[in-house]
Amino acid sequence: MPDRLDPRFDLSFTLNGAPVHTATTTATTLADLLRDRRDGRGTRLACERAVCGACTVLIDDVPRASCSVFAFEVEGRDVRTVEGLSDGGDLSPVQAAFADNSAFQCGYCTAGMILLTEALLACEADPDDATIRDWIGSNICRCTGYSLILEAVRDAARRKRETAS
Amino acid sequence: MTELPLRNIGRTDRRVDAGEKVSGRAVYTTDIDLPGMLHAKVLRSPHGHARIRSVDASAARTMPGVHAVLTRDETAAIPMPVYGYFIKDQPIVATDKVRYEGDVVAAVAAEDEGTANRALAAIRVEYEPLPAVTDIERASEPDAPELFEEPPVGVVPKYGQGASGELRPRKNICYRFSYETGPADAFAGCDHVFEDVFHFSRMHHFHLEPFVCVADWSREDRVELWTSCQNPFPVRKEIARIFGIAENRIAVRVPYIGGGFGSKNGCKTEPVALALSRLAGRPVRFCLTLEEGFLTNTQHAAILKVKTGVMADGTLVARESEILLDSGAYSDGSPLVAEKAGYRIPGPYRYKRIKTDCYCVMTNTAPAGPFRGFGGTQTSWACESQIDMIAHRLGIDPYEMRRRNLIDLGEPFVPGESGMDSDLRAGLDLVVRELGYRRRDELEDDGPVRRGMGLAIGFKDGGGVNKPALARVKVSTNGDIFLQCGTAEIGQGAHTALSAVVAERLGADRSRVRYMPVDTDHTPFDQGTNASSAISVMGQAVDRAALAARRQILDFAAEKLDCPADDLDLADWEIRRGNEAHPLAPMVMGHFGGTGWEFVGEGFHKAENSHAAPLEAPCVFWEIGWGGAQVAVDTETGQVTVEKLFVTGDAGRAIHPLVCRGQDEGAALMGLSQALFERMIYDGARLVNGDALTYRVPLNDDLPEDFRSVTQEQGHGPGPFGAKGMGEGGMLPVASAIANAIYDAVGVRLTELPLTPERVLAALAEKEGG
Repeated sequence: MPDRLDPRFDLSFTLNGAPVHTATTTATTLADLLRDRRDGRGTRLACERAVCGACTVLIDDVPRASCSVFAFEVEGRDVRTVEGLSDGGDLSPVQAAFADNSAFQCGYCTAGMILLTEALLACEADPDDATIRDWIGSNICRCTGYSLILEAVRDAARRKRETAS
Repeated sequence: MTELPLRNIGRTDRRVDAGEKVSGRAVYTTDIDLPGMLHAKVLRSPHGHARIRSVDASAARTMPGVHAVLTRDETAAIPMPVYGYFIKDQPIVATDKVRYEGDVVAAVAAEDEGTANRALAAIRVEYEPLPAVTDIERASEPDAPELFEEPPVGVVPKYGQGASGELRPRKNICYRFSYETGPADAFAGCDHVFEDVFHFSRMHHFHLEPFVCVADWSREDRVELWTSCQNPFPVRKEIARIFGIAENRIAVRVPYIGGGFGSKNGCKTEPVALALSRLAGRPVRFCLTLEEGFLTNTQHAAILKVKTGVMADGTLVARESEILLDSGAYSDGSPLVAEKAGYRIPGPYRYKRIKTDCYCVMTNTAPAGPFRGFGGTQTSWACESQIDMIAHRLGIDPYEMRRRNLIDLGEPFVPGESGMDSDLRAGLDLVVRELGYRRRDELEDDGPVRRGMGLAIGFKDGGGVNKPALARVKVSTNGDIFLQCGTAEIGQGAHTALSAVVAERLGADRSRVRYMPVDTDHTPFDQGTNASSAISVMGQAVDRAALAARRQILDFAAEKLDCPADDLDLADWEIRRGNEAHPLAPMVMGHFGGTGWEFVGEGFHKAENSHAAPLEAPCVFWEIGWGGAQVAVDTETGQVTVEKLFVTGDAGRAIHPLVCRGQDEGAALMGLSQALFERMIYDGARLVNGDALTYRVPLNDDLPEDFRSVTQEQGHGPGPFGAKGMGEGGMLPVASAIANAIYDAVGVRLTELPLTPERVLAALAEKEGG
């Protein structure tokens, strides 16, 4: 509903490579803006305090907790979500690695973990274990005990390097 | 016919939910969005215990965007506005009193959550604060403040040999479970009797998908409910009772669940959402914040007093226990947890005499309920710590002490029970080998850092109590397979495992099976996704349903081919007879016409009732978690570092080995976390760390340097292909294995969780001083 304390304004940004022009409000978070779109529910909200990382998206390739980013902060920027990873239905190497290693259980943290891994592998194509654990340490998975996730990240790195070479 | 090799069982191919979950397309209850849907929020009590003098919601009712307000004035018109498992004591919104900080006092449905929150802020509640009681020992005293002056309605289930239950045996105790077997004078013949007391901490489940539902009761004679719920059929029954609606008017649908760990059993968000939807005449979404989750359901803190009689050679003779469970302000699943804690406290050992009393003590804290391990975590902590303590007191190696007393394969746990279906010694020996336990004397100290190793065996009866399950398998003209059953996919991989069983029986690839959405209007009855029952109980029903469908298909083909069905086999939707292959689709259409047909098989399973069994039916399977830890204890700081953690469960037969591994490792990390740091901290009636930032759950950095699991496949399970349930066992041994390793390292015994540096230092100081 219209709210004089929270006026609407126009916002333009790039979402998964495509331009988005939309009206939103100053108090709207990026996560809510994304989830209100029909194709944006892959971004999951859990703690909503920028602790758990379930809602991680990439803003100009940097992983951010979208629950704690205002929509207006992405004006003119490039936002990538889990929906943007599959190329015409084909899973990305990171997604495929998570699928093949059963690196998920309930799946609620999975999109965030996958985007975190995409960002890590964009920074370092061949990360050592300490680097992987450092990056993955920013997100919470309550189900797996992490070992399978760490294996998927290593596997994803291998796959990406093989695809690149 | 020669047996075809297995094509689905034991494979580690992608789970059936992999594509949806890694692509973000998986639908959870949080994603459900209905036209005209309103959003609910609730007002919570700021007091731990208070009488409600008045609730004035008049300002909230007239605010723009507000469509319904629910207070005790509205719930007075609901036929039975209280809920709970055995005891109906939790009101939809508070009526006479609030009983914990966070108790629900009023609810609003509005255009959006912000509007709902503003309306809640306009509700005036006048409280008369009462003394709160938040300590279970204090709550058990005669002069303690009383939570319920009038006894709520409740039932005691039928128990078998040696077991009994009682509602409200004393003030503030809502339930007692007792079990007794063997001669009362057994202690008299013991060489030693040891009495020890153990304190167990309290965790929150911290499932990432919050408690959430979408309720649509906009039409009077129809309720539609989407909910993140582990047991849709019992919730349907409870809703029918609360609101006085026929069960065939209520559809409960369960999409993917984003984690639960026990918390999502029974009514949570549903009654408030339904009451608001009825008032507003529109669908209502009620999604709690993670902080509200802490106030909705928790694990049971506990005090366990264990008295064990033993011979000088280490042979166990008798065990008497008294367990106090902190049930919080409402009973929720507490009586069931008491049953299980009371039953499991002996551990997997042989005694002549067992006697247990387990009490559910009410306190002015958040309601406690089912939590992974379900009383078994509490009892394994006490049991496996005390076994070690006794071994050391007798000068026996803790490994030898366990080996001497473990129940044999096939031996009943207690009279009337089913036989042990794992070789317990084989599992223990595996831990000893993997950990290098026999070489632990070679562990080197590092200045003030001392090293040690400990073992433990977690133990619980698995598969629930007396649990029925029904499943249906349909096969269409083209060989597309529909699996209909009520097990929710909560992350445990049940949809994958159950689909694999069906595919195997029908000679198909698993990709031909679709696990149909769980919807109580169409899904066959099931008691719930809990108690590690998916493969062990539902798996048997699913297996029978698949075999029934197979039988129909083969009988049909036998008639068409004019031969005995036993001559035929089914593979890839063809009938095989020797070297002949007969495609089924034309055969079906030739008989039923071009529109085709569906073969439908149903399968049912329930453990046979038996009054000889203490819980009225023998246990379906025994869920065992063997564990071992190597720790380094810094004697200057008290810091405990778990350097190695090894856990192993027995899947009987691993339908999907990676899923089994994930279950054990996830459970083990939860156990590690509880052992070292994770806990809810109360200051009086106030929870002081009920949010994601200050409540510490484990991150991958918390994994021990050497963290491994092995899934044993001993083959004795009751489920399809010899499978047993999994998912809880891996948590059970961890805390006591670590405490035992600490004793091995520095000779101090911690009996209270978590095993913090402060407690280690205090124990070291006491040892030095003593």
